[in-house]
Amino acid sequence: MEREIEDSALSRYKKRMFILVVVLALLSQLVFWEFIRHHPTGVLAYLLAVLPALPFIGIMATYALYIAELRDELVRTVVKTSLLWSIVATLSATTLWGFLELLANAPHLQPLLVLPIFGIFLGIATALVNRRYE
Amino acid sequence: MNNRLRVLRAERAWSQADLAERLEVSRQSVNAIETGKYDPSLPLAFRLARLFETTIEAIFTDEK
Repeated sequence: MEREIEDSALSRYKKRMFILVVVLALLSQLVFWEFIRHHPTGVLAYLLAVLPALPFIGIMATYALYIAELRDELVRTVVKTSLLWSIVATLSATTLWGFLELLANAPHLQPLLVLPIFGIFLGIATALVNRRYE
Repeated sequence: MNNRLRVLRAERAWSQADLAERLEVSRQSVNAIETGKYDPSLPLAFRLARLFETTIEAIFTDEK
């Protein structure tokens, strides 16, 4: 039962994530190939460029769905608290880096890197918050 | 918040896993509630009270 409780939301989350990662891989290949081969410009370039971002948005929405579908309130508390701390850490790190770029000529941080950085902070926060309830 | 969950569970010879199954929560939740690391929501507190056929106040106290 315990396993069922924990796994039902998690298994749906994993299935959705798998589909989105496959879509992301295919779309990225397709878009990069299109840009390398045909050098699109104007509106078409804009439209093509945002395509690989869509699965990323889906990944974030999938995580929100996972939280909404969690039945165990302790697990939901752990996930929500971890999310809050990882948002704090990500915003702090990017703000710090922004001032470093602005004033100290630090290398430019691609906005695309913010999501992986957030993911790393989320992993660390989840491990730390989980420990509090063990 | 203090609670008598461990005592009530012991009176019925239920393990944490047994109680978790009856409450449809994870064993980690039962353990966290028992050890006072996590205060359950009101709906879960009511489920606990119904399961042990008692009142919420008989299970949980706000004494330190």
